[in-house]
Amino acid sequence: MKRLAILAMIAALALTALPAVLAEVPAHPSELKYGPLDFKVPDPAKYRHELPGGMVVYVGEDHALPLVDLSITVRAGAFLDDPAKPGVAALTGRMLRRGGTKTLSAEAFDEKADFLAAQITSFASDTSSGASFNCTTQTLDACLDLFFDMVRNPAFDTERLALEKENILEGLKQRNDDAGTILRREWGWLMRGRDHFTSRQITAAELDSVSRDDLVAFHEKYWLPKNMMVTVSGDVNTEAILGTLAERFAGWKSEGPDVPWPPKAPAHSPTPGVYYVDKDIPQGKVFIGHLGMQDADWSNPDRYAVAVMNEILGGGGFTSRITNRVRSDEGLAYSAGSRYSVGRFWPGAFRIVFQSKSATVPLAAKISLEEVRRIQSEPVSKEELNIAKASFIDTFPQAFESIESIVNTFANDEYIGRPHDYWKKYRDRVRAVTAKDVQQAAKKYLHPDQVVFLVVGKWDEIVKGDPDGRATMKEFFDGKATRLPLRDPLTLEPLP
Amino acid sequence: MTTRTRVILGVVASFLVLAGALAPAVAETSANLPVETFTLDNGMTFLLVPKPELTTVTAGWVAHVGSANERPGITGISHLFEHMMFKGTHVIGTRNIERDLEIIAEQERIQQQIRKLTEEQKARWRKGEIDDPFAAENRTPELEELQKKFDALAEEQASLMVKNEFDKIYTGEGGSRMNAFTNRDMTVYFITVPANKLELWFWMESDRLAHPVFREFYTERDVVHEERRLRTESTPTGKYQEQFEAMFWESHPYSWPVVGWPSDLRAISKQQADDYYDTYYAPNNLTAAVVGNFDPKEVKRLAQEYFGTIPRGSQDPPQVVTMEMEQLAEKQMIAECDCQPQVEILYHTVPFQHRDSYALDVLAELLNGRTGRLYKSMILDQKIASSASASQQSGKWEGSFSFYGETKGEATPEALVKAWNEQIARLQDEPIPDEELQKVKNQILASSYRRLSSPFFLMLQLLYFDGLGDWQYVNTWTDKTLAVTAEDVKRVANEYFKAENRAVARYYRKAGTKAEEVPPELADLPAPMRQSMLNQIKQVRASTDLERLEKGLEGLQQQKQQVPPQFKAALELMEKTLRQRIEELKSGEQTAEGGE
Repeated sequence: MKRLAILAMIAALALTALPAVLAEVPAHPSELKYGPLDFKVPDPAKYRHELPGGMVVYVGEDHALPLVDLSITVRAGAFLDDPAKPGVAALTGRMLRRGGTKTLSAEAFDEKADFLAAQITSFASDTSSGASFNCTTQTLDACLDLFFDMVRNPAFDTERLALEKENILEGLKQRNDDAGTILRREWGWLMRGRDHFTSRQITAAELDSVSRDDLVAFHEKYWLPKNMMVTVSGDVNTEAILGTLAERFAGWKSEGPDVPWPPKAPAHSPTPGVYYVDKDIPQGKVFIGHLGMQDADWSNPDRYAVAVMNEILGGGGFTSRITNRVRSDEGLAYSAGSRYSVGRFWPGAFRIVFQSKSATVPLAAKISLEEVRRIQSEPVSKEELNIAKASFIDTFPQAFESIESIVNTFANDEYIGRPHDYWKKYRDRVRAVTAKDVQQAAKKYLHPDQVVFLVVGKWDEIVKGDPDGRATMKEFFDGKATRLPLRDPLTLEPLP
Repeated sequence: MTTRTRVILGVVASFLVLAGALAPAVAETSANLPVETFTLDNGMTFLLVPKPELTTVTAGWVAHVGSANERPGITGISHLFEHMMFKGTHVIGTRNIERDLEIIAEQERIQQQIRKLTEEQKARWRKGEIDDPFAAENRTPELEELQKKFDALAEEQASLMVKNEFDKIYTGEGGSRMNAFTNRDMTVYFITVPANKLELWFWMESDRLAHPVFREFYTERDVVHEERRLRTESTPTGKYQEQFEAMFWESHPYSWPVVGWPSDLRAISKQQADDYYDTYYAPNNLTAAVVGNFDPKEVKRLAQEYFGTIPRGSQDPPQVVTMEMEQLAEKQMIAECDCQPQVEILYHTVPFQHRDSYALDVLAELLNGRTGRLYKSMILDQKIASSASASQQSGKWEGSFSFYGETKGEATPEALVKAWNEQIARLQDEPIPDEELQKVKNQILASSYRRLSSPFFLMLQLLYFDGLGDWQYVNTWTDKTLAVTAEDVKRVANEYFKAENRAVARYYRKAGTKAEEVPPELADLPAPMRQSMLNQIKQVRASTDLERLEKGLEGLQQQKQQVPPQFKAALELMEKTLRQRIEELKSGEQTAEGGE
C-alpha cells in the first residue's frame, strides 16, 4: 500500500512537471514494468471457529455494506437417495424453503421473508445440501428467526409439495426441446451409466411417488448439526455471531446414522464409438471425450500438469489450440474448446465441446482430435506453457477476492477434504510444470482413439460432411455410429 | 384472505419492535456510491471507484453505439465490430504489418468482386433458378475462382499472424473475465487484471482504439453466423422471439436483432466496418469505468498518457432519428415450436429515466417474486402457470414492458392471457395496499446495497447506465423508486396497459413433440399415422373455416363404413373433434386452439 502511495506521488509530480504528450509510452506491452502484487494467502485459522458442540463455523467480518451472508452446508445429497426412490434428497432441499414451518404456513413464511427483503434459500445437489440467507444488518435477528425455524422445523406443506412436483413435471416435459439438454443427458448416461446419482434422470412416475413423509424422514435423518458446517460473512461481530449461533443450534438433536462417505463411485465404463441423437436444428452440438484422471489428495504433480495441458489444448479460450483452429482459423464454431475435470472419489472426465453447422461437424471434430494427438506427440512451445501457467498463477488471488469467498473457500476445503496448504503450495506446483510434464500428461491422460463421440443434430446432413470434402463422419470409427433414440420426456422410454 | 392480512400485520408488528416505529424497514438510508469522474480534452470520460481492499482492478469501457444505430443492409455490424476489436492492431497480432495491410486491401478488392457476383446470384435466386444465393454448391466457376484467390491470401496472412495475440498478452499477465457485449444501445468491453498490472489495461485498450486492424474480418463473419445459429436458430423459441420483436417495433430500429439479419451478415464489408469505427469509436463517444485497487491520481496520469493522445472525432456521432410510430391496434403472433406452451406480451412504455419508468419498475416488482401477484394468482390459485414474470425494459430511445409466462398441465396460452388481463385490471382499478407497497420498497432498499457488493458487477452497472445515458442512475434510481406512490402505479397501469398498445405472442407445442398426450383412440395406430392424426386434430381445433370443417365431416362419414376395424376408434375421435369445433364456431365462441 505504502509503495503504491509513493508511486502515486511521484506520478502526480511527473504530471505537473511535464506535458503529458511527452510521456513515453512503451512500444509493446512486453516492455511494461510492474511492481509486486501485495497479496498473501489468507490464514484459515483466522476465520475458523468451533461452537461448544464442536460444529465448525467460518466467520469473516466485512463492514463495507450493511449486509450479512450466512450459509449452512449439510453432508447430504442425491448420493444418499435410495436407488429405487430418486429425487428425495433434491426435493428435501427444494421444499425446505418452499414448504413453510411447523408454526408458519408456506405463505406466511414467504410474506415474512419478502417483507424483510431477506433472500433465503435451500438446496440439495449430488454430494451436498444446504441453506443460506442474505439480509441487511438491521433485520439480522428477524432473519435468523425465520432461517432457523426453516432448517429446524420445516413443514414440507403437502399442497406446496404437490405444486412443486407439478412444476418440475413441466420442466421434464421440456427435456427434448433444447438440444443442449439432450446432449448433457445422453453424455451423463454414456459416461456414468444411467443409475449413478450424478447421471440419474427422474421419470414422471418416480417424481410422483416422492411423498411428504419421504422428505420428513430424510430431513430428520440427515439434516442434523453433526452433519453441518456454517459460514458467516459481512457486517457482523465475530464473537457476537458465534454466541448467537450457539444459542440457535442449542437443543437440536444430534443423534443420527453415520453418513456414508465418500459417496459411491459409478460402476459403468463407457464404450468408445460415435453416438447421435437426431434433431432438426441447423447446428450439431458435440461432446467428444472419455473418463479421466483421479486424485484423492491434491498432491499428485500430474494434476497440475493436466491442468496446464488442458489450458493449452482447449481450456484457455482464445489462447488455446482447439479454439484457435476451430473458431479463429476456420470460423466453424462460436465456441470450441475442451474441459478436463480431475475426480476425487471416481475418475474425472475429459471432454471436447463445440457446436458447428451440420456440414462442418466432422471437420471441426477432426481438427480437434488432431490437436489432441499433436499435444501428445510434440512438446508445447515455451510461450504457450508460460501463458497457461501465468493464467493460473496470476488469477489465483481472485479465489480470495472477497471475505465471502475466503470463508466459503476454506469451508469447502474442509467439506471435500482438501488440505488448506493446497492454496499455499498451489502457485509453486503450477510453476514447476515443464513442457515435458505437459507432454507426458497428454500421453497418459488423453486417449483420442478411445473416445465417446456424441452429437445431437441433423444426422443426415452431419454424416455427409463439408462441401469441400475435407471431412465426413466416415473418419471416425470407420463410419460406424449408434443412433440413440429420443426419449419420452416423462417415462424416458425410447420414442419410435 | 383473512389469514393473509393477519400475517402481514404480524410482520409489521415484529418489524416495529425490531427497528423502531419511524425508521425505514431494512436499512437507515439507501446506499450511495461515491464515484470520482474526469473527462479528457478529447471527450473521453472516466468513472473511478477505488477499492483498496482488493488485489485486482476490473475495468472496461462503453462505446455509445448499438444495433439501434444501424440501418437495413448493415444490421449486425455493431456486434460483428465487437468481435473485430479482439483481432489486434498495428503492433499486436502480426509479424509483418506492411504485408498484412497489403493482404487486407487485396482481400477487400476480391470481396468487392464477390459481392458483385453475389448480386447476380441474388438475381438468379429472385427468379427461382437457385435455392440459395450464398450456398457454396450454387457458386459459379467465377465465384469459385475468386474464393480460391481469397483463401490463398488468407493463408498467407495466417502465416504472418501472431494468432490471438491480444488474448495471449492479457492471459499471460493474469487478465481474466475478458469479454464484451453488444445490445441495442451500447457496446461494452471489460476485463479484470491484477492490481499491479493496471497499466497493461491502458496500453491494450488505448492501442486497440487508436490503431485497430480488422484482419480475419470475413472468417469472423462466419463465426458470428455460427453464434446466430447457436443463440437464435437452435434454441426452442429463439427464432420466434426474434420475429416477435420485429413485429412489435413498427418503425424504430429496435425491430432488428442485435446479431443482424442473415442476409446482412453475408453482405457487410470491411469498408463499412472502417466507416463505422471512424464514426462511433472516437473518444468523445466513449466512457471508461475502473473499479478496484488503484490510486486515482495514477489512473488520471495513465488515462492522459494513453488515451489523451487519441484525437476527438471530426464530428459528433449521429443520433438515432426514427421514432416509434404510435401503435393503433393489438398485434398477435401464433407460433408452433418444440417448446412449452407459453405467452409473451409486450407493451410500448417509456425509455430510460423517463419519470414514469420508476412507477413501472415498482409495478413489475408488485407482480414478481413468490409473494408477487403473478405467482399468487397464476401459480398458486389458478394453477395455470409453471412460471410467470414481468419487467420494465427501459432502452435508451424507447421502452417496453413485458409479461412472460409458461403454461402448466392442460392450461392454454389463452388462459394465461386472460389471467394477465385480470391482473392488469386490478392494478388499474384497485388501490395498492400499503403493506404490499412497503414490501416492494423494502426490497428496493436492500437491493440498493446488494447491487454494490460485487466489484465486477459494479463496473458493469456503471458502463451499462452510462451506455443508456447516465451512470448516476446507479445512485438516483433507489430514491426515485422509493418515492413512487400507490397512485402513481395506478396511473401508469391505466396509461400504458391498453390492448391497442401491445403485441401478444402465443406459443403452442408443435404437434407430435408432446409425447405423453396421445389419446387412447390413437394408441394402436402405427407411429406415422398416429402423428398425422395428431396433426390433423390440431389443425381442426385451430381452424375457423366452418365450411371446410363441415365438408370434412361429410367426407369422413362417407368413409367410415369402408375403413378397417383397427382405424375405427381413430376416425370416431376425428369425427368428435370436427363436431365439437363446428359447434364452437357456430355458437360464436372464440375458443382458440391449444389443448382442451
